[in-house]
Amino acid sequence: MAFKEIDLNMGPQHPSTHGVLRLKLAVDNEVVLSVEPVIGYLHRGMEKLWESLTYTQVVPLTDRLDYLASLSNNLGYVLTVEKLAGIEVPRRARYIRVVLAELQRLASHLAWLGFQANDIGAMSVLLYGFEARETVLDIFEEYCGARLTIHGIRIGGVPHDLDAALAARIRKVLDGIPKRLADIRALLDDNRIWKQRTVGIGRIAAGDAIAYGLTGPGLRACGLAWDMRKDIPYSSYDEFDFDVPLGRNGDVYDRYLVRLEEICQSIRIVRQALDGLPEGETSAKVPRVLKVAPAEVFHTIEAPKGVLGFYIKSNGTDKPERVKMKSPSFINLQSLEHMCKGNLFSDVVGILGSLDIVLGEIDK
Amino acid sequence: MTPFVADVLIPVGKIVAVILYPMIMVVVMIWLERRVVALMQGRLGPNRVGFQGVLQPVADAVKLFFKEDIMQRQADAFLFNISPVLVMFSSLLAFCFVPLGEPIRIGTYTLTLWIAESPVGLLIILGLSSISVFGVIFGGWASNSKYPLMGALRSVVQVLSYEIPTGLTVLTVAFVARSMDLVEIVRRQEASGTWYGFLMPVSFIVFWISAIAETNRAPFDLPEAESELVAGYHTEYSGMKFAFFYMAEYAHMVLVSSLVVILFFGGWLPPFPSVKALAFLHAVPGFVWYLVKIMFFLYLYVWIRATLPRYRFDSLIRLVWKWLIPLALANFLVVALVRFLR
Amino acid sequence: MSRIGRFLKSFFLVDMLRGLAVTLRLYFSRKVTVQYPERVQEPSPRFRGIVRLHRNEQGEPLCIACKACQRACGTGCFDIEGKKEEGAKVMRPTRFDWKLDRCTFCGFCVEVCPTSAIRFSREFRLTGTDKDGLLFHLPDMYIAGEDLQSYLCAGCRRPR
Repeated sequence: MAFKEIDLNMGPQHPSTHGVLRLKLAVDNEVVLSVEPVIGYLHRGMEKLWESLTYTQVVPLTDRLDYLASLSNNLGYVLTVEKLAGIEVPRRARYIRVVLAELQRLASHLAWLGFQANDIGAMSVLLYGFEARETVLDIFEEYCGARLTIHGIRIGGVPHDLDAALAARIRKVLDGIPKRLADIRALLDDNRIWKQRTVGIGRIAAGDAIAYGLTGPGLRACGLAWDMRKDIPYSSYDEFDFDVPLGRNGDVYDRYLVRLEEICQSIRIVRQALDGLPEGETSAKVPRVLKVAPAEVFHTIEAPKGVLGFYIKSNGTDKPERVKMKSPSFINLQSLEHMCKGNLFSDVVGILGSLDIVLGEIDK
Repeated sequence: MTPFVADVLIPVGKIVAVILYPMIMVVVMIWLERRVVALMQGRLGPNRVGFQGVLQPVADAVKLFFKEDIMQRQADAFLFNISPVLVMFSSLLAFCFVPLGEPIRIGTYTLTLWIAESPVGLLIILGLSSISVFGVIFGGWASNSKYPLMGALRSVVQVLSYEIPTGLTVLTVAFVARSMDLVEIVRRQEASGTWYGFLMPVSFIVFWISAIAETNRAPFDLPEAESELVAGYHTEYSGMKFAFFYMAEYAHMVLVSSLVVILFFGGWLPPFPSVKALAFLHAVPGFVWYLVKIMFFLYLYVWIRATLPRYRFDSLIRLVWKWLIPLALANFLVVALVRFLR
Repeated sequence: MSRIGRFLKSFFLVDMLRGLAVTLRLYFSRKVTVQYPERVQEPSPRFRGIVRLHRNEQGEPLCIACKACQRACGTGCFDIEGKKEEGAKVMRPTRFDWKLDRCTFCGFCVEVCPTSAIRFSREFRLTGTDKDGLLFHLPDMYIAGEDLQSYLCAGCRRPR
């Protein structure tokens, strides 16, 4: 019996597609010929729903998009509304937003690390990563009451102040994370099995990455230094000193190293923000019912998964006319086929993990 | 001792023991695996069912017993049903040849702690563990589904490839001990004073790596990896048939650990026989030492599973053909040369 | 690192042994599992559990049925009607229906309430057995639940 092309289906229910994603694969004796992702299993009609809610009421729903990094979604949307309405956010609030956003980046990357390692077989790393993530989520719970659907940003500022006690707790958490990372790196970084499964796998050249619209750590692993926090800074990011880690080969291993280094850089940013927290208000004065004059604006931020953009069109009422969200995972998923072609079937899982997609963001 | 007791009761008792022993070890292994992996991961694992969770395997068995036995209409019924049996059969039958200790003298009767002692016991055990391959391929084929078929094919290639370094390293032991009788091998280790694991460490390491691959355990567990093929060749099995595959895998692990202990670590011999100060160790019966050593290797299995990522299939095959087999061959040549020069 | 050194490191499986050492060390470390339900992790003070109505020190309800929470809520959990009694100073709610199955725990109702009548509690054990228990009426909103050990099951309203 000769094996020709087999059509394989990694169905919506699969232990390693990160959410309900269906992959239609065509393999020839284990070599992947084509990958077609089928999405939409988690579509909830968010963008349409938002047209019937006020600008303020939309904010908690943006939590449910990228549910592993919900505060980034909040931030993206709120910054867009503030740009639209011309609201000036006080400096203290901007710094607190940076602290929260970078902690969220930390938590998101730790979750990614756990899932990626688990897909490739190192199951203990999943638990070590999540144990570290839990310490960060405890901070979020302490700050605004929730761990996952955080809703920790309001239009105009932040809901609560960051007092010295909470700042001390954050510093303690930041001290503990590098130790965990060192353990995980001892388990994975030089491990020959890990390297065999990640070095040279899922390679994408810089030119192709730009053509596919890949953003975030995936793009930086190809060697291109594009980070919205540096290139088009928002929320006082230009006042902080941090590096943007770059990779060289654009393979899974480089994406892994880039994200690990980003965790260290996030810790650095949070420490700077806590040290330099200015006095002032935690929120600008925003009317209870926010009516925005007709305008349209598009604003992007650097979410942990890539460049997150919101386009909002207002029409003078308190409800947006149209909100369009450009989610990084949706665009990044396009490059999956390019990355998987020519690799073995077993690598699809590793490559999908390295793209770091969240179906909530893709399907909205 | 009446002939009835000597010729009927005792052999039947031994047969029952030989069936019970791996089954009990399987139960212990299920508990050990879940607890140890959990503790290494910073969590507790099952600790509610019975003291410290020791009744968890019983709960698992009861659950599997009550599960519906599903079989597809297009599945080949005969092969589908027989493959768990084959896998279990090969694992259990090999235990007949595994010696647990020196014969015990009860009055005038000598009770041997094995069912059969054969001059080619080693070869028989290796041959029996190869029969499990049939069970795997039948299971994958009879399931009539792509994922199990791919899993079965991978598993077969893996097991067949890793049989070669297994055979070669076992050959070095047989060569040094000048016998393929397992009891003889242990006695030779006792006589020479050094366990073969220390005499030929390369043999031991190569055998251990091949053993992990033979039993489809991490890091060589691609055929049954959850994240890639759902569950490999036993995807379509449920209920007791799945339980058979599951238990047969653990039984095979126990068998392989027994083989490692007997061939390389002195079987039932206590450690440090030449140190006078530790002479009290000899008071401990042989099969207790045997159990202690087996438990160490079973723990090592679980420890490795909790730590290492999974090999991709081509890396796995490349490892055995490019590294392990040449290494095993070179090792055999070195051992033969050293022997020849003595 | 010289090539020979790298080869030796690889031959002797140093990278794998490092990994094994990590898991062995963590095998003996303190475990973070909290054995629920014997031990319950206490939520933080700002924890967004289920919302409750509160009374002041004199025992009078704080809610003045201004419906600010109803307007603020993005998912339509509230259905409030109020009436001002003869001779009373403020309106009081005559009907206060709240749907648990629609609540996203966002906190807007708590933030806009002028009298701090509706506040988050720290109850997170909100399981029930029938869907009718998801619709809360006025008396149900007042059940105090600050003490985690003794509160009524939110779903079926029976004491634990």
